[in-house]
Amino acid sequence: MKRLPCAFLMLWGLALPACERPGAPGNAPLGLAPPLGLPPVPLPPENPLTQARVELGRTLFMDRRLSHNNTLSCAMCHVPEQGFTSNELGTAIGLEGQSIRRNSPTVYNVAYVEQLFHDGREFSLENQVWGPLLAGNEMANPSIGYVIEKIKVLPEYTGRFESAFGGRGPDVLTVGQALAAYQRTLVSGNSRFDRWHYGKEQNALTAEEQAGFRLFAGKAGCSACHSIGGKFALFSDNGFHNTGIGYAKSMGQPGRHRVQLAPGVFAEVEDKALESFEPPQPDVGRYEVTLDPADTWAYRTPGLRNVALTSPYMHDGSFATLEAVVEFYDRGGIDNPQKSPHLRPLGLSAEEKAALVSFLKSLTGDNVPRLAAEARTAQPAETPPEKDPASTYRRNP
Amino acid sequence: MKNTTQGRNRPRKMALALAVSAALAGVALPSGPALADETSCSPYTPLIKGQEDLVYVWTLGVKGVGDGSDKLVTVDVNPHSKTYGKIIHKLSLGGRGEVHHVGLSDDRRYLWGGALDSNKIYIFDIGTNPAKPKLTKTITNFVQKTGFVGPHSFIAMPGRMLITPLSNNKDHGGETGIAVYNNKGDYVAHHPMPKEGGGDGYGYDAGINPQKNVFLTSSFTGWNNYMMDLGKLVKDGEAMKRFGNTSVMWDMKTMKPLKVFQTPGAPLEVRWSWKPGDNWAVTTTALTSKIWVYKQDAKGEWQVKDVATIGDPVKIPLPVDISITNDGRGMWINTFMDGTTRYWDMSDPMQPKEVFTKKIGSQVNMVSQSYDGKRVYFTSSLLGNWDKKGKDDEQFLKMYHWDGKDLKLAFEIDFYKEKLGRAHHMKFQARDLSTLKPLESAQSPPALIARKP
Repeated sequence: MKRLPCAFLMLWGLALPACERPGAPGNAPLGLAPPLGLPPVPLPPENPLTQARVELGRTLFMDRRLSHNNTLSCAMCHVPEQGFTSNELGTAIGLEGQSIRRNSPTVYNVAYVEQLFHDGREFSLENQVWGPLLAGNEMANPSIGYVIEKIKVLPEYTGRFESAFGGRGPDVLTVGQALAAYQRTLVSGNSRFDRWHYGKEQNALTAEEQAGFRLFAGKAGCSACHSIGGKFALFSDNGFHNTGIGYAKSMGQPGRHRVQLAPGVFAEVEDKALESFEPPQPDVGRYEVTLDPADTWAYRTPGLRNVALTSPYMHDGSFATLEAVVEFYDRGGIDNPQKSPHLRPLGLSAEEKAALVSFLKSLTGDNVPRLAAEARTAQPAETPPEKDPASTYRRNP
Repeated sequence: MKNTTQGRNRPRKMALALAVSAALAGVALPSGPALADETSCSPYTPLIKGQEDLVYVWTLGVKGVGDGSDKLVTVDVNPHSKTYGKIIHKLSLGGRGEVHHVGLSDDRRYLWGGALDSNKIYIFDIGTNPAKPKLTKTITNFVQKTGFVGPHSFIAMPGRMLITPLSNNKDHGGETGIAVYNNKGDYVAHHPMPKEGGGDGYGYDAGINPQKNVFLTSSFTGWNNYMMDLGKLVKDGEAMKRFGNTSVMWDMKTMKPLKVFQTPGAPLEVRWSWKPGDNWAVTTTALTSKIWVYKQDAKGEWQVKDVATIGDPVKIPLPVDISITNDGRGMWINTFMDGTTRYWDMSDPMQPKEVFTKKIGSQVNMVSQSYDGKRVYFTSSLLGNWDKKGKDDEQFLKMYHWDGKDLKLAFEIDFYKEKLGRAHHMKFQARDLSTLKPLESAQSPPALIARKP
């Protein structure tokens, strides 16, 4: 997949689209210097970052009324205080509690992701936003037009699109652009690792964390997929790999589950006892996009920045801790015909596994509290429109 | 265990505190006759001591069943009526919002019903014509005013309605609080559940005891979990960590938490024994299958003890609704997973004994008994996405006669066959409310609707 032509935030001489009103408040290009360890944020030239767009996008991101029944915002699954994911769910649920098959991916550093969703089915943030807005088991809006009409009747948005987009109101393009603009600001770097590795602060990492890094880039082979470059590190190859998690879930036999009933109190529950409830939903990963059998049960390599904050892990949230993740990779994943050749038993000692976990915990960016607090500065009202937008819509004369 | 909290107070709580204080000064529960709920009403709500005429069933709409919308269903339950055991009224609300519990106002002329997903609160006039409830107000500002999600229980206080929600609008987790509205449906105040002193901030039900100037709250789980398919939830290790494990005793005047109790495994319904001289409350924990009794010790401090185990906890029978008799000597406990109701002898609340069990259906949730305990009503639905699927998804209202030894089916209504949906919470009503005299003074106990059985 080709990346969109990128403008870079630092290139302030970039010409704005003709419709822009550079003199309007909040419409000046927004300065966002990439933090240590990250490259400049890729920006599509047709959607320059401005304060007005970012603030508008933030309000949309936090607005629960953007779901059909006014209960789910983007932020209810990508919770700012929970690493912009949900620490409380393995896999998400959507409108009226409908099941979603996969874990909510963090939106930290989503600006750098080339193919979005766990299976890479979307290629720009501007387009991606419409996926959850319209998916019947997520925010479940009946149509694009319905979303736009609803935004038009909510008083908080009166004039804001027009101001941010040179007179253009909410439509399929500007809604996507506003949400994309906000998400592109969720850049988080300058971690202790960055200060040690790129900033050459020798004491920024402990000896154990440094040992973990050497394992990460060496014996454990993690960096084969979670890439580290010479000048920056996305900790992702933006590729898709089969670790066996999806295979096991699809091909495994009914078994037992250890279920926590209360802190320290557990029970074993057989699948058979749950037959009266919803069966697991099929999920064959990237194959659903490419229809290439080689992509069966392959999922996108997630970046690892802020990984200490984004539990649970894997595309299905099946691991609660980083320790469990490291144990899984130490075993070499789960064998299956399409398993990634990168995965093999590692033979790590307990000390080595602990060092790897310590290293992963050093990847937390220095602006996490600020980004979460900024998200809460948008406080859209909770009151839904008095009448359904489909009932009030009238074609403009 | 001692987890005394440092309660919180705010100036805006004063209005409510004053209202409650005034009520306490002028109103007291009777110390003479046993005052039961029937059996889950607020002690401020006048009761029906004799034969109830109507049962309202708060019913969840199901996509593809009838109009698919939530509704309030009215059933005639007077055996002398021509329409005995029949549905006589349906009030469809339009849309599905995960309706759950209802509560009667302090004069029994209004019924408040909440929706755990849409967060709407509906107020029905059930006084003007009890057989034809009329929707008089829909409160849509609950989340805006409180930041809470999932209005659950409605407990009448003098001129007020105490509302206990389950979740919040920040992360749909279990941290929540309590809210107070006035009888007009206007917001008055809200208070967070305590997180100090061992509190987890979770909430669920509340039971008030004006004689002791306390109310007790329990804790369940947030929107993320109560809206999720139960089979999916059980297999989600992270989600299963997010259940309430505490209950809280509050000062009713000041709305301050007095003490946090550790009651692990999702304590649900709260009931006080209203037997004269009794001084205990009870709850059950859904996940750990325990009965817990709250009682003051010799020093007057509230303590809690798990006094019994319900069924086989390893099989997670999921004890859900309970119904205590008016003399506090017996209690029905439903276990959802095996569709069974269990009668417990509570003569000694610290050593209760299960003395009777009966399978009601493939699943059973709510149980409500008449004041005299002779009629016991059951409904099937727990939560829209926790109910069983396929053939086990029976949806019913069933009424049994209880003679102290056995339950004998009087009538049943198939809520799917009637194209209604999932049958959930029930409240009784009388057709003639002319004798209602709520909130009388201590010298004269609150009037009951004393009718011949």
